[in-house]
Amino acid sequence: MLLILDILTTAAILFIVSIGLLAIFGVLKIINFAHGAWLTVGAYCAVVTAKIGLNPWLALPLAFVVGAALGGLAEHFLIRPLYRRPLDAILATWGLGIVVGQLITLAFGRDVQLTPNLLAGTVEILGVDYSAYRLVALGIALAIGTLFALTVERTRLGLSARAVIMNETLARSLGIDTGRVRLIVFMIGAGFAALAGVLLTPLTSVDPNMGVSWLIGAFMLVMVADASYRALAAACLVFGAAQVLISTFVSPILGSVAIAVLAALVLRISPKGFSRA
Amino acid sequence: MLETLPATGRAAAAPGRLSRAAPFVAAAVAALALWIAPLFLDTFAVNVLTRSMIYAVLAVTVDLLWGFAGILTFGQAAFFGGGAYAAAMILSAYGATPMGIALALATAIAAPALLGLVVGWLSFYHRSTPLYASVISLVVPIVVVQLIYAGGAWTGSSSGLVGFDVLPFEIEGYFRLAALVLITVTLAAWILVRSDAGRALVALRDNEARCAYLGLNPRRLQIVLTAALAAVAGFAGFLFANASGVVAPENAGFLFGTELVIWVALGGRGTLLGPVLGTIAIDYLSANLSGDLPFLWRLLLGTAFVAIIILLPGGLADLVLRLWRAFPIGRSGHAAPAIAEREAETEPVAADTPILQVRGLAKAYGSLTVLEAIDLEIRAGELVSLVGPNGAGKTTLMRCLSDGTEPFTGSIAIAGTALAGLTPNRIVGLGVGRKFQVASVFESLSVADCLRLARASRDGLSPVGRAATLSLPQAALDVLRMTGLDHRLDQPARLLSHGQKQALELAMVVALEPRLILLDEPTAGLTKAERATIGRVLKGLTAGGRIAAVLVEHDLDFVREISSRIVVLHQGRLVLDGTVEAVVGSELVRTIYAGGAHG
Amino acid sequence: MAEAARRIDAAGAALALEAVSSGYGAVSIVKDVSLSVAPGEIVALLGKNGMGKTTLLKTVLGMVALRGGGITIAGQALETLSPARLVALGVGYAPQEQPLFQDLSIRDNLRLAVPSDRLLLEALERLFGHFPFLKDRLAQRAGTLSGGEQKMLILGRALMLRPRLLLIDEISEGVQPSMVERLRTVLLAERAAGLSMLVVEQHVAFALGLADRYAVLKLGEIVDSGSAKAPDAQARVFDHLAV
Repeated sequence: MLLILDILTTAAILFIVSIGLLAIFGVLKIINFAHGAWLTVGAYCAVVTAKIGLNPWLALPLAFVVGAALGGLAEHFLIRPLYRRPLDAILATWGLGIVVGQLITLAFGRDVQLTPNLLAGTVEILGVDYSAYRLVALGIALAIGTLFALTVERTRLGLSARAVIMNETLARSLGIDTGRVRLIVFMIGAGFAALAGVLLTPLTSVDPNMGVSWLIGAFMLVMVADASYRALAAACLVFGAAQVLISTFVSPILGSVAIAVLAALVLRISPKGFSRA
Repeated sequence: MLETLPATGRAAAAPGRLSRAAPFVAAAVAALALWIAPLFLDTFAVNVLTRSMIYAVLAVTVDLLWGFAGILTFGQAAFFGGGAYAAAMILSAYGATPMGIALALATAIAAPALLGLVVGWLSFYHRSTPLYASVISLVVPIVVVQLIYAGGAWTGSSSGLVGFDVLPFEIEGYFRLAALVLITVTLAAWILVRSDAGRALVALRDNEARCAYLGLNPRRLQIVLTAALAAVAGFAGFLFANASGVVAPENAGFLFGTELVIWVALGGRGTLLGPVLGTIAIDYLSANLSGDLPFLWRLLLGTAFVAIIILLPGGLADLVLRLWRAFPIGRSGHAAPAIAEREAETEPVAADTPILQVRGLAKAYGSLTVLEAIDLEIRAGELVSLVGPNGAGKTTLMRCLSDGTEPFTGSIAIAGTALAGLTPNRIVGLGVGRKFQVASVFESLSVADCLRLARASRDGLSPVGRAATLSLPQAALDVLRMTGLDHRLDQPARLLSHGQKQALELAMVVALEPRLILLDEPTAGLTKAERATIGRVLKGLTAGGRIAAVLVEHDLDFVREISSRIVVLHQGRLVLDGTVEAVVGSELVRTIYAGGAHG
Repeated sequence: MAEAARRIDAAGAALALEAVSSGYGAVSIVKDVSLSVAPGEIVALLGKNGMGKTTLLKTVLGMVALRGGGITIAGQALETLSPARLVALGVGYAPQEQPLFQDLSIRDNLRLAVPSDRLLLEALERLFGHFPFLKDRLAQRAGTLSGGEQKMLILGRALMLRPRLLLIDEISEGVQPSMVERLRTVLLAERAAGLSMLVVEQHVAFALGLADRYAVLKLGEIVDSGSAKAPDAQARVFDHLAV
C-alpha cells in the first residue's frame, strides 16, 4: 500500500515538474534548459511570500505570474533568434539558467532557505500513515493535468497551439499569429514551472541550484512524451514506478538514475517514445 | 534539424594560409615558452595553469566533436572523470610503482575508450538525430557520477579519493608535462582537421545524408570519433589525477560537461585555438576572481555565454579572425589539387542480369497506398525517365531504390543483390548513386574536397595531410569541364550558383562510378543552357553501355529529348512503360496531364 | 496579348502582379510574371506540375519570399501585409498540399479559419449553404472524409469569411466528376456575387469552363494567355501541356 502511494505521489510530482517543459517543447520545439531556473524562481517566490508574512499558498499565483513574465522576456529576447538553431537554444537557455541562478544568489545568498510548510502532518489512509502534503500534491497534479487538458482541448489558445504543432505553415496561412501563440505558450510553460517550484518547497531544500537536479528528469520525461500530455502522464507513472521500485528493492542510487537511463533506452528503441501509443 | 552556422563553417573550412612547417614552428615556440614559464610564475599560478591546460585538452576534444563534427556533447566530462578515477583507484591500490603507473595509464585510456564505444553505439544509428546524441551525452555523466557514489570505499563515494601515490614530479614538472600534452594534442587535432580525413568530419556536420549516399558510413565515423576522443579525455583524467592528487565526483559530472561546452563556445567552436585559449583564460580568471567576486564572476560568464551563443556563434575567435581578415596581408588561398584521370573500375554486369529489377513493389504510409504492384527491369545503357503528376509516387519509388530500410513489400535487386534492409551507404556499395532534387553538397567544403569525399569510399582519406592530386573517372571530369567547375575547384561549394551546385552533385555521384544513377529532377530551377548540358552529360554516360540511369523529371520536352524509355506512374501504379514514341503518342498520358483521368 | 493590354491599373485590380520573381533558397521558380485579376473576374493559371503554379500562389500569400517585382492586393503592397492582415483584407486560400489538420475535427478545422469564435456561427451557416452534408459531420475527424469531401471542406472553409479574392490550388484534383460539378456550381455562384479568383488547375476543361481568362505557366514564365472563351483556347492550352 505504502509502495502504491509512493508510486502515485512520485509520478504526480514528476508530472507537476515536467508539464511546463512539455508545453514549451511541444509547441516551440525548443528544449528549455532554463526550466530548472524557473523552478528555482518559483521556490524563491515561496521564500519571499513567507518573508513578508503572507499565507504560504499565495506563493502559487505569485510564482505563476513572475514565471510567466520572465518567460515572456526570455522568449522575446533570447529564444526568438534561435528557432532555427535548436541545439544553440539548449545552450542559450542553459546560460540563462546560470544567470538567473547567480542573480538569486546575489539577492538571497547561496545558503539553504527555510520555507513554511504548506501542509504539515500525516493522514491515515487505508491503514497507513502517509504524508498529507504528498497526498495533496497528488490532488494538485490531477488538478493541473485537468486544467492543462481543458486548455489544450477546449480553448481557442489550445486549439491554435495544436494547430501550430501539427502544421505551422497551414496555421499561418489561415491567419493565425503563430509568433503570438509561441510567446503565450512559453509564458504559460515558464509559469507552470515556477508554480511547480513552489510545490517542491516542502519536499526539497531551497537553494539557488535546486532546479538543476530536477531538470534532467523532467527533460528525459518530456523527450519520451514528445508533445503529448497524455504520454507525459503515462511516462511519469511508468518511470516514477521504476524509480520507486528500484530505490526500494535494489538501491536508492540506481533508483536516482532510473528515469534517465530507462528513458534513453526507450528513445533508442522507439524515437517517438510513449507518444505513439 | 539543420543548423546554419555560417561563422563556424567559415572558420572550420578556413584554408591553410600558413606554410606547412608553420604549425610545427608555432608548437615548438609555444613548448619552449611554456617550458621556461614556471621560472617566472608563482606557485599558485603554476598550479592553476596546470589544471587549466589539462582542461584545455578536453576543450580540444569537445571542439572536434561539436565544432567540427557537429555533435554537441556534455559527455566528455564522464570520460575525463572515468580516466581520473581509474588512475586514482589503481594508484591507491598498487602505488606509483612502474607496474602501477603503467596499469593506471592503460586503464585510464582503455576504460573511457570502451565506454565511448558503448556511448557511440547508443548515440548513433541509422536515422538517429543530433538531439538524441546530446541527450545520451547528458545521461552518461549522470550515470557515471551515481556509480562513483555507489562505489563506497573503492571510489571514496561523495568525498572522492585523496592521498594516493602519484608520478614523481614537482609542480613545475606537472606544468611542463601538461603543456607538452596540450601542445601535442592541439597539434595533432590541427593536423587532423586540415587533412583530407578532417574534411570528412565537416562533411558529416554539414550533410550527414550526403555522406551516407556517397557510400561513407556516418555511424562508424561518429562512433570511432567518440571512442577515440573518450580515450584522449581519459588520458587527460590520468594527468589530472596525478597533478592534483585528488579526484572528486564533480570531475565526472554533467555540470563540468556543460562548463566545457561554455569554454569552447566562448573561445570559438570550430577553431581549436579559440577553445584552448578560451579555456585557459576563463579557468585561470575564475581561480583568481572567484575569491573576490564569486557570484558576480559566474554571472558575468553566464551573460557572456548567452550573448555569444545568440550574437556571435563563432565565439571570440571568430571576432579575432574577422579583424585579421580585414588586413589584406599574407593571404594566399589554399591551392586546389591537380585533377587527374583514372581508369574506370566498374565491373560490367553480366549482360543477362538486369542492373535493376523490381518485382511487385508496394508501399503504404498507414492506410494510404503510395505504390502498388510495380514491376520494372532496367539494363545497362538505358536512360529511363519516370514521369507522372504530383503524388504519383515517383519520389517514393526513388527512395525505395536507394534506401533498403524503407518499409516496402515486394523485391528490389541491384545486379542480382536484394537491397531490402540495407542502409543507403551499403546500397551505394552495390553501385547505386543518387542525386537529390535539392542539390545536396557540402556547403563548407571546396569543390575539390566535395569530389574527394565522393571518392573516399573507394580511395580512402589521409588523416595527416592533403593529397596533391585528385583522381576522378573520365565521366566526372567531363561533367566538370562541361560546366566549368574545373576552374572553380578551390571555391567553397556554398558560393556556387544553383546550377553549379546541381552540376557538382552530379559530378560527385558520377565520381562514385555507379552502375545505376538515380536522379530526382536534376534540372529543376536550371537555365535552358544548363539543362542542355546536363542532358548531354546523361546521354554520354549511358551511351557507353555500362551504366543505366533513372530520371524523375517534370519537363517533358527534356524527357523526350534524352530518354531511351519512359515509364509513367499514376496514382501509385505503373500505367505505361515504353519507348519515347509510344508514350508520347499515347492518349492516356495526354488525359493524365490534362486532368480528368481519375480512378 | 500585348504587354500594355495586360497591365491593368494596380489600384483597381483585386490582385496585380508586376514582373514577379520568387523561389526557394538559391532556386528561382517564378520568373518575371505579370498578371492581374479584375474585381469579379476568374483567371485560370494552367501548366504541368513543377512549373511554378503553387509557388506563384504562395508568393501572393507571402509564404514564399518575393525576389523581384511587386504584388498589390486590393491596392495594398504585399510587403506590408501579415497573414492575419491578408485574411482581414478578404483573401481566401484553398491550398493543395496538406490543406487540412487531418487529426482535428471538422469543427476545429473551421474554427481555426475564423479569427474569433463569435464569427463562427455565421460563418458555418454560410458553409452549410454551400455544402449541407458537412452539417451533421462537424464532430468527425477531417482525415476521415473522402478525397472529394475534403476538397469541399477546403473550398467551404476558404469561403466562410466572405472573401473578396480567392486563391485556389487544384481544387478538382482527384475529385469524381459529379463532385467537380458541385464545386463548379459553388464557384460560379460566388463569382456572381462579385468574388475574384485566381484558379490554379491541371484539369483544363474544368478551368476553362470556369474562367474568364487563362494564362499558361511553363518553367516559371507565362508562355501563353488569352480569353478562356476563345474558340481555340483549349487547343492552345493542350499544345503547351502535351508531351
